[in-house]
Amino acid sequence: MSSAATHTASGPRPMAFVWALALVAVALIPWITGSTFHFHIAIMVCISAMATGGLAVTAWVGQLSLAHAAFAGIGAYTSVLLVTRLDLPVLLGLPAGALVAGAVAFVIGAPLLRLRGVYFVLITFALNELFRLVMLEIPEYSGGSSGIAGIPKLSIFGVTLSSYEAVYPFALVCLALVMALLVLIRKGQLGHRFGAVEENLALAEASGIPTAQIQTLAFTIGSAIAGFAGAFLAHYVGFISPETFGFQLSVSYVIMLVTGGRLALWGPLVGALFLTPLPEFLRGAVEYQHIIYGVVLIAVLRFLPQGLAGLPAQLARKGGRA
Amino acid sequence: MSFLIAQSLINGVILGTLYLLMAIGFTLAFGVMRIVNFAHGEFYMIGAFCALIGVTWLGLPYPVTLALTIVFAILMGAVVERLVFRPFRNDELSGMIASLGLAMILQHGALILFGPDPQAFPAMVSGVFKWGALIVPKSRALALGIGLVILLIFYLFLMHTRHGRALRALVQDQEVAAVFGVRLEIMYPLGLGLGIALAAVAGGLMAPLFGVSPFIGATPLLKAFIVVILGGLGSIPGAALAAILLGLIESFTSSFVSASAADIVTFALVIGVLLVRPAGLLGRAEA
Repeated sequence: MSSAATHTASGPRPMAFVWALALVAVALIPWITGSTFHFHIAIMVCISAMATGGLAVTAWVGQLSLAHAAFAGIGAYTSVLLVTRLDLPVLLGLPAGALVAGAVAFVIGAPLLRLRGVYFVLITFALNELFRLVMLEIPEYSGGSSGIAGIPKLSIFGVTLSSYEAVYPFALVCLALVMALLVLIRKGQLGHRFGAVEENLALAEASGIPTAQIQTLAFTIGSAIAGFAGAFLAHYVGFISPETFGFQLSVSYVIMLVTGGRLALWGPLVGALFLTPLPEFLRGAVEYQHIIYGVVLIAVLRFLPQGLAGLPAQLARKGGRA
Repeated sequence: MSFLIAQSLINGVILGTLYLLMAIGFTLAFGVMRIVNFAHGEFYMIGAFCALIGVTWLGLPYPVTLALTIVFAILMGAVVERLVFRPFRNDELSGMIASLGLAMILQHGALILFGPDPQAFPAMVSGVFKWGALIVPKSRALALGIGLVILLIFYLFLMHTRHGRALRALVQDQEVAAVFGVRLEIMYPLGLGLGIALAAVAGGLMAPLFGVSPFIGATPLLKAFIVVILGGLGSIPGAALAAILLGLIESFTSSFVSASAADIVTFALVIGVLLVRPAGLLGRAEA
C-alpha cells in the first residue's frame, strides 16, 4: 500500500468537471424516480460513504482499522443516550457522538499505533470484539442483546425529518461536509504529511515529521467521522444493539474502502456508491449479497489494486502504452 | 473446592486441545505464507459439514469420514492458494483483506447450500468416565483422544520428514530456504492445505459436541486469533503454550467467575500482550 499516494493530479480539469456533473446526476436519481426505495438506498449510500471516509483518513497514514464499527457504535450510543436520557436535540447528539468517538480514539491511539501492518489490524479486530462484549455486559446502557428500539428520528431545530424525502437532503449535506473535510485535509499540509508517513515512515520520521502524533491525529479524525456516521445511522434506522456494530460492519467498511481505492481521495465515495446499491438491485438474491461482496473484493484486490477510483488512471496508462 | 479445580483443569485441557488444532493451522499459514487467514474459521465449519455429510448422508464410519475430510481440506487448500492467495504473496495486508472476502464467500455459500438452521449431529459415543467426583463425558474424551493423535502425527511429520523440514525452514527464513532448494510452488499450497486440514478436522471432531451450522466458524477463528497473538504469529511452540493457557484461563474463569467474564479477561489479555510484546510470548521480534 505505497504506490498510489501521488493522487494530486486526478486528470485534466475538464475531466474533473465531467465527474462532478456525473456525481450530481447520480445524487438526483431518487428525486427523478421519486421512489422511496431509491431515497432509502441513497441515504444508506451517504451514511456508508461518510463512515468509509473516516476509515480512509486512517488508511492515509498506512493503517487499516478493523475497529471502525466500534467507533461508529460509540458515536451511536453517545448520541442516543444523550438524546433519550438528557433530552438533548438530535442535532447536538450527532457532533457529540463524533466528539466522544474521537476522544476515545485519541486516548487509545498512541499505544495502538505503535503496531503496524497486520498487527494493527489484529489489535483493532480484538478491540471491536471487546467493545461488543463490554456493551453486552452493560444492558442498562446498551439495551443488551435486544438493543435499543424507538430511537428519536433526526430533527433540525425542532422539525422532525420523518420521511425519506426529508432525510435525504440532510444526509447529502452531511456527506458534503465530510467530503469537504477530507478534501481540506488531503490538499493541505496535513495531507502531505499523511502521505509521507504512509509512504515511508522511517524517512518521514528522519525528515522531522512527528509520525506518532500524525498517525494519532489521523486515527482520531477518522474515528470521529465514524462516530458521526454511526450516530446518523442510529437516528435514521431507529434501532441499535451491540451486534449492530460488530465485526461484520467493520469488514463491510473495509470492503467499501478497498473497492473504492484505499488511498484515493474519492475512494470511499466510489466504494459506497458502487457496493451499497449493488445487492439491492439483484432482487431475490439477498443471500448472494455477501458472496458478491467477497468476489468483488478479491477481484478488485487482484486486478485493480488502486480500486475503482484508480480505474480511469489505470485505463489511461494502458491506452497510452498501446 | 479441590474437585472443582481438578474438573476445571480437565475441561481446560480439552478446550486447549481444540484451540491448538485451530491455532496451529492458522499460525502455519502465517509462518509459511505470511497470510493472516480470516477464512480459517470457515474451514472449521466446512470440516464439520463434511463430517455431517459423511456420517449421516453417506453412512460412512466416523474415522473414515475424518480421513476423507482431511484429504478434501488439503485439496481445497491447494485450490484456494492458487485462486485467492497466490497473487498476494509479498503483500501481507492485501492477502489478509482477500481472506476477509474468502470468508464471506464460504460462509454464505454454506448458508445457501445448507440453510441457516443448526443441524444435529448423531452422538458417536455416549456415557461418561468417572473418577471419584470427576466426570468426563466419553464424547469429549473421544474428541480429545483423536485430537491428540492428530497433533502427534502432525508433530512427527513436521519434525521428521523432508516436507516437514522444508516447512519449518520456510517459517524461519524464506529466502534462505528457497536458496537451499525448498520448492515454494509445492510448499505454499501444502502449508496452507495442511493448516486448513487441521481446522477442518477440528470441525469434524467438534461437530458431535456442538452441532453444525454455517455460523459455527466465528468462535474457533476468534480463539485461534487469541492463541496465535498470545503465542506469537508464526510460532508453533508459542501456539501450543498459549492454547493450553487459554483453555485453562477460560475454564477456570468460567467455573469461578462467569463465562462472559472469561471472554473479557482473554481479550484484555490479548490487547495487553499485543501492546507489551507484539511478537507474542514466544514469537520472534520483527525488524
